[in-house]
Amino acid sequence: MKIAVCLKRVPDTEMRFAIAADGKSVDTVGLKFEISTFDEYAVEAALQLNEAHAPGEVAVVGLGPDGLGEHLRKALAMGADRAIHLAAETVPYDALAIARSLAGALKEQGFDLILFGRNATDTGSGAVGPMVAELLGLPCVTAVSHLEISGATGTARRELEGATATITFPLPAVLTIDEGIARPRIAGLKGIMAAKKKPMEVRPAELGAEVLSIDRLALPPERQAGRIVGEGADAVPELVRLLHDEAKAL
Amino acid sequence: MTILPLRHQLQLSQDRFILPEAPGPEAVAMDVLFVGAGPAGLAGAIELARLVQADGTLGEIGIAVLEKAESLGEHNLSGAVVNPRAFRELFPGMADEAFPFRQKVEGEAIYFMTAGGSTRIPTPPTMHNKGNWSASICEIVRWLGEKAEALGVNIFTGFPVDSLLVEGHRVVGVRTAPSGLTRQGEQGGDYTPPTDLSATVTVLTEGTRGPLSQAWTAWQGVGSANPQIFALGVKEVWDTKVPLDKVIHTMGWPLPRDAFGGSWLYPQGPNQVSLGLVVGLDYRDANLDVHEMLQRMKLHPLIAPYLEGGTLLEWGAKTIPEGGYHALPERFSGDGLVMAGDCVGFVDVPSLKGIHYAVQSGIFAARAIFAALKRGDSSAQALSGYDAMVRGSYIARDLHRTRNMRLAFKDGFFTGAAKAGLMTLTGGRLPGGRIAMHADAEVPRKTGTGTPFQPDGVRTFSKLDAVFKSGNATRDTIPSHLLVGRDIAPEVADFYSHLCPAGVYERVGDELRVNPPNCVDCKATDVLGPRWTPREGGSGPKYRSM
Amino acid sequence: MADFMVFAETRGGNLRTVALETVSAARQAADASGGGTVHALVCGAAGVAGAAEALAAHGADQVHVVEHPQLAHYNAESVAATAAALIQSTGARAALFSASVEGRDLAPRVAAKLGVGLAADVTAFEVHADHVTATHPVYTGKAVATLRLVGTPAVLSIRPGAQPAVEHAGKGEVSSLAPALDPAAARVVVTEVGARGAAKLDLGEAPVVVAGGRGLRAAEHFSLMEDLAAAFGNAAVGATRAVTDDGWRDPADQIGQTGRLVSPDLYVAVGISGAVQHLAGMRTSRVIVAINRDKDAPIFKVADYGIVGDLFEIVPRLIEEIRARKAAG
Repeated sequence: MKIAVCLKRVPDTEMRFAIAADGKSVDTVGLKFEISTFDEYAVEAALQLNEAHAPGEVAVVGLGPDGLGEHLRKALAMGADRAIHLAAETVPYDALAIARSLAGALKEQGFDLILFGRNATDTGSGAVGPMVAELLGLPCVTAVSHLEISGATGTARRELEGATATITFPLPAVLTIDEGIARPRIAGLKGIMAAKKKPMEVRPAELGAEVLSIDRLALPPERQAGRIVGEGADAVPELVRLLHDEAKAL
Repeated sequence: MTILPLRHQLQLSQDRFILPEAPGPEAVAMDVLFVGAGPAGLAGAIELARLVQADGTLGEIGIAVLEKAESLGEHNLSGAVVNPRAFRELFPGMADEAFPFRQKVEGEAIYFMTAGGSTRIPTPPTMHNKGNWSASICEIVRWLGEKAEALGVNIFTGFPVDSLLVEGHRVVGVRTAPSGLTRQGEQGGDYTPPTDLSATVTVLTEGTRGPLSQAWTAWQGVGSANPQIFALGVKEVWDTKVPLDKVIHTMGWPLPRDAFGGSWLYPQGPNQVSLGLVVGLDYRDANLDVHEMLQRMKLHPLIAPYLEGGTLLEWGAKTIPEGGYHALPERFSGDGLVMAGDCVGFVDVPSLKGIHYAVQSGIFAARAIFAALKRGDSSAQALSGYDAMVRGSYIARDLHRTRNMRLAFKDGFFTGAAKAGLMTLTGGRLPGGRIAMHADAEVPRKTGTGTPFQPDGVRTFSKLDAVFKSGNATRDTIPSHLLVGRDIAPEVADFYSHLCPAGVYERVGDELRVNPPNCVDCKATDVLGPRWTPREGGSGPKYRSM
Repeated sequence: MADFMVFAETRGGNLRTVALETVSAARQAADASGGGTVHALVCGAAGVAGAAEALAAHGADQVHVVEHPQLAHYNAESVAATAAALIQSTGARAALFSASVEGRDLAPRVAAKLGVGLAADVTAFEVHADHVTATHPVYTGKAVATLRLVGTPAVLSIRPGAQPAVEHAGKGEVSSLAPALDPAAARVVVTEVGARGAAKLDLGEAPVVVAGGRGLRAAEHFSLMEDLAAAFGNAAVGATRAVTDDGWRDPADQIGQTGRLVSPDLYVAVGISGAVQHLAGMRTSRVIVAINRDKDAPIFKVADYGIVGDLFEIVPRLIEEIRARKAAG
């Protein structure tokens, strides 16, 4: 089985998060980058599928600056066979622009599956995968939390709000992978060594015009001082009312 | 009551770290292995890769650097004001401005502090920083790592070395620590077994209080005139609004008079300062708490104005080998093994410098190893060229010149200061002779009652807040890597809880509670209490700009 | 004047609340533009036309109903084709979807078909003559981006709960529409939609997290937390480190600096004092509720809503009230 996995390089904002002076981007000074979490699940899913349906290959594809190389290399160390780095100084915000570039690189390569993470942890849009599917005319299942492939047919599970959908689809297809499908493996020393010798193709990303851009990036409003709704069980109805009407959390 | 730390400490058997086994059949074969990606290991790898390439006759030489942190630099911590000397030697022709430093030292001041005030005092000659640069060692290490990788060096982050593999007296490789063990030490779902690596020469560049260096010197019977002694440094990096135009050092308060140490405040670019407090681990008061003292210090009128309106960016802690010349091991190399950097003790306390000695010793190690590889002989005899290079260099000269200065403070600040002044005047000749030292764990501690400190969460922080700011996100289900002695009395539990800056130890009732995931690998309790052993790769802090 | 196309999401033939929220958002934007037409598209098996009334009551002027047996479940390919066609035929200035699991599947397909931009998961938006601005929380809620979307039509998906469902009578004309792609020809087929099984929701992805601390006093009292989670229906149970250290819960359930970092829509802290190590793991939650006996507990400083008192009285009542609220829909 031939599988492509698309990866995004995103900043690890757990420890440090600041807005850059331009007011539109994240201050990257001292920031560490990583493979977006769901994309790493997608890599693991691809490796397991490839192991179960040998022979085949897993290609990892990314779009981004030089620094993306080390993350593609990490996927190679986990076990992917080759990498394609679509070089771009910055990753556009516009999912369609990214999708067009990726679709151009992925078309006519005979991939049985093209995997994405459910969404990137930075923009959280989850749009590139289904857009690539449309551009390539391929069937697409998003937010896959469980997957079985049998011959040229796949069965996927998607977690909905409070329900679970079972979905069948023919191959080739585009899937976006949710957490829970498999825990990403840790690359061993030998994998890291082997990765150095695996092919990594670098070529320009060929990004077209962008129709979506970012005007401003701001910190969310400070959390306001909490309020004690009341004492004891009698305060519960008021709490539930506030959660529903005011906080919109129910 | 008095606590003798040694009495409550486990003695770590060298069998834990020295395995008389050949590397397994699946071993990764390397020619030269550096254990620890700090300035010493990376400088050594860079120099060696260059020598091999320039020579061209040795064929493919596999050079690897193993590092326990998840990414490069994440376990490195230093002040730091760096002497660029060794960087110039490693990168000939490169301007100082091209090194990954923050800014050139433009001015400096030393203050003697009291609880409410401070007095500026003349800068001792050993502490002059003209021509030096403030820097973040995390950034230096990441930069060196890029240089090394570009030269074909294999850098493996997230792989702590658990033990040395030996044949007879020869070190023939290493074994990494496994990962994915459960709290009970069983193999969990993510279990990854240890990996063996074989090497013609293994270079220990594991940093302060390295367990392998300790085990190897004990195993080989390599002694030193004095035992190594340590200090604990706690450091914070702040984003600030108030400019700081000079390097500041302080002495005196908040340290008691029978403790050695001081603080620093360094500019790291226009809106950032590094500040920290270092205290020798031969302090006498069992309640002394370096983290807490640093918190109090930030409220002092000398320091507080610089932090006004600022925010804490990062927090960290690390020990520093302070024994100097007399604590250096008799030799720094053996059959198939070389040691460089902090794990040997190449730190000059009076000038507060170690990084350039680490880089320089790494360079020397590379040169000696290269010569050994050329001759096809990696015996102790062949590698002893390294010892000769170090002993004939400014590393040994600098440490010799100040050999007794730190030691003079063992009886307290004022006698120490007087003796140190005399030493400076006489180039270290007076007072004569070697001042004999006890290991830190042999210095008795007086228990008493401390004054509780309530952090405000804005300027001052609890240990738990602080550990969060170290980036430590160690898996909570990890087995304990800290070996605690038996029957820890409540007073000893208190002592550990004050000693550890990261809140690993707590006294709960009369019991000692240990929270191993909090550990930031500073090694302070390895010196005075529970012993530290390597744990799963990627555990511990994630320093970015320390 | 700007016209809007809204996709009204259904499940099991019934409108979902997010559909009403999205229609309301379109109505408001249309009115703000000087009174455009709001077109709603609803797809389903026979009988889904019954949803038209509620859509009209929330501001839909034209309800386009597609009924087909193969639309009983979400049919991505057919619905995307139909939505794209309807957007084109109505000349809508903007198309709104819900940023629900299915809406996030659908909106990018439609945008790609039309070759236009998508602003996903937005909490607010404004339509201007030559562009649309939209507010989108990014970096797992650590920042808010203001996006600029140029071109017509603009495609947006609206974060559930971000816009209120507001009753506002629309013209409510109902017409039936043929699917632009035969649902039976779809390659991707939802064969079954079932209630979520016994499988536990992951702490990291559950929209609601209910967490218990030492205040629960014993391991067996965590059944109360399980009941509370069950009442929410979309909740996972977490615990503090003190609790996992004492072996009351599996260490994997621990929320905090050394455990899981969670950022759910709603976090309910029960019997948790609020140690920093715990706060570090949940402080980015959108809404925090604290129930604790001690009114000075630090958890109340980060909580949006708090109740002081005996959790063993408060939590059962909360379970009751949540169940009643969920039953009422």
